[in-house]
Amino acid sequence: MSRLSTLWVWAVFAFMYLPIAMIALFSVNDSKIMSLPFSGFTLKWYAEVMGDGRLGGGFLTTLSVAFPVAICATLLGGLAALAISFYPMRGRGIFAVLLLAPFLIPKLILAVAQLIMFNETGVERSLLTVIAAQTVIVLPFSTLVIASVLIRIDRGLLEAAADLGASGLSAFRRVVLPLMANGLMASWVVAFVLSSAEYVLTAFVSGRAQPLSVLVASDFRFALSPSLNALAVMIVFGNIALVALAELIRRRASKTGA
Amino acid sequence: MSLRVGTLLAAPVTAFLLALCVAPLLILFAYSFFRVDFVAISYDPSFANYAKIAGSATYRGLILKAFGSGALVVAITAVIGYPVAWFLAKRAGAMKSALLTLLLVPLYSGDLVRVFAWRVLLGAEGVINRSLIWAGVTDAPIQGLLFSPLATHIALTYNYLPFMVIGLWLAFESLDDAWLEAAADLGARSPSRFARVTLPLTFPGLVAGGLMVFVMVVGDYLTPQLLGGASGITVISAINDLFGTAFDWPLGSAIAWTMLAILMAFFAVGAMLIRRSSLVGGS
Repeated sequence: MSRLSTLWVWAVFAFMYLPIAMIALFSVNDSKIMSLPFSGFTLKWYAEVMGDGRLGGGFLTTLSVAFPVAICATLLGGLAALAISFYPMRGRGIFAVLLLAPFLIPKLILAVAQLIMFNETGVERSLLTVIAAQTVIVLPFSTLVIASVLIRIDRGLLEAAADLGASGLSAFRRVVLPLMANGLMASWVVAFVLSSAEYVLTAFVSGRAQPLSVLVASDFRFALSPSLNALAVMIVFGNIALVALAELIRRRASKTGA
Repeated sequence: MSLRVGTLLAAPVTAFLLALCVAPLLILFAYSFFRVDFVAISYDPSFANYAKIAGSATYRGLILKAFGSGALVVAITAVIGYPVAWFLAKRAGAMKSALLTLLLVPLYSGDLVRVFAWRVLLGAEGVINRSLIWAGVTDAPIQGLLFSPLATHIALTYNYLPFMVIGLWLAFESLDDAWLEAAADLGARSPSRFARVTLPLTFPGLVAGGLMVFVMVVGDYLTPQLLGGASGITVISAINDLFGTAFDWPLGSAIAWTMLAILMAFFAVGAMLIRRSSLVGGS
């Protein structure tokens, strides 16, 4: 029973990593044809991607969206996390539902709804609308990351600070804020990754300047090629490295916070 | 501490979400009662769009198909996920947090890249077909692999399995092993232990994980679109078309709100089930 379940778990994890492993393998295979047997090792597909000016421009656009989204989502997520998991508030249940809504509503429906609103109010589609729209759907995740750090903070510390004569604000600044700092950093990284990977909403509300995900989507739709493998691998490993960094920061928080 | 601090902190977030999530959905709702006159929107409210949806076999079929896909993927992920969640909670020991992280990492690769990877694997020119031909198993590529409901459902299972596992894992974490030992001592065999002890006690996790998987499958646009081929037409892609080439925003809005209303009903039922079963589990 136990051996069988171990085997099952291994199989499931293999399934989860199979597609990523495959594109990684064929991104360094020296052949245009993606098939066994392997024809030798090459980095030329990576060189091809790096030399592509159109993708480079898209990457810069992605960065100029992801940085502000990560900041906005972390600020708003920090406020939301404090309200929902730390300080008492009125209407907590309704607030929680409101926060979860962007995660649960199909993205395409949210996208067309925002498209109508921008259209009706005469707001021109631009990178600003992309930033606003992405912040909405990243917010549930950034709130969750920050709240997961906040709930481990001992409330006794606040009472101790109050007993020592600290006002609410200075107790926050000198006790709570340092303890939640790691949560804020982790949230920033997670928000950055989610923003850069987002496609459906971005495609609907972006104007002339198109982020990498929108450019890549049209490439993916039409052709398979080893250089697209290389691009996908770079995106995946860039994201995974950032998420690993965020997880490390969050873990450090749980050690010092405990 | 007074209730004011939290309420004050929540205020900017509430304002932001009201402006960019609730307001657009309300405008979408209003649009669902308008109609298109040639190329302009006629702001003359009626139920015509909803009547059209109810009367159209195509739209009714697409909505049913979406919920069918959702139910199927929930069932598959539950069967795959139960042993994994149990293992993570009860057997993983020191490896637990590493395994949980490993489970979630593929989610961060982005839905576009994941769909692309499945195309590379399943396509007529893809890894599996080319390799089968090379190995001499078949002469011509197996066409049904990509651009089929099979491809769509493999990728949907892949995309949303982690959410099911997380829901079940949380339920297993709070499941006391003593219940299972007691059942075994009383002579229950393992299928009956699962059906009469494990399943009822982990039911809230199954409902929570199932709801997440269900909404995400129903709302998925990219996966059926890029992997399903002709079968990739879904109710969500129909909304997309009505907002794009077909230019009938009001009808698109009405379909979108029909879907939202049904999903909300599912959530209400799900929340009720979770509340009721956690009351039973707690007593």
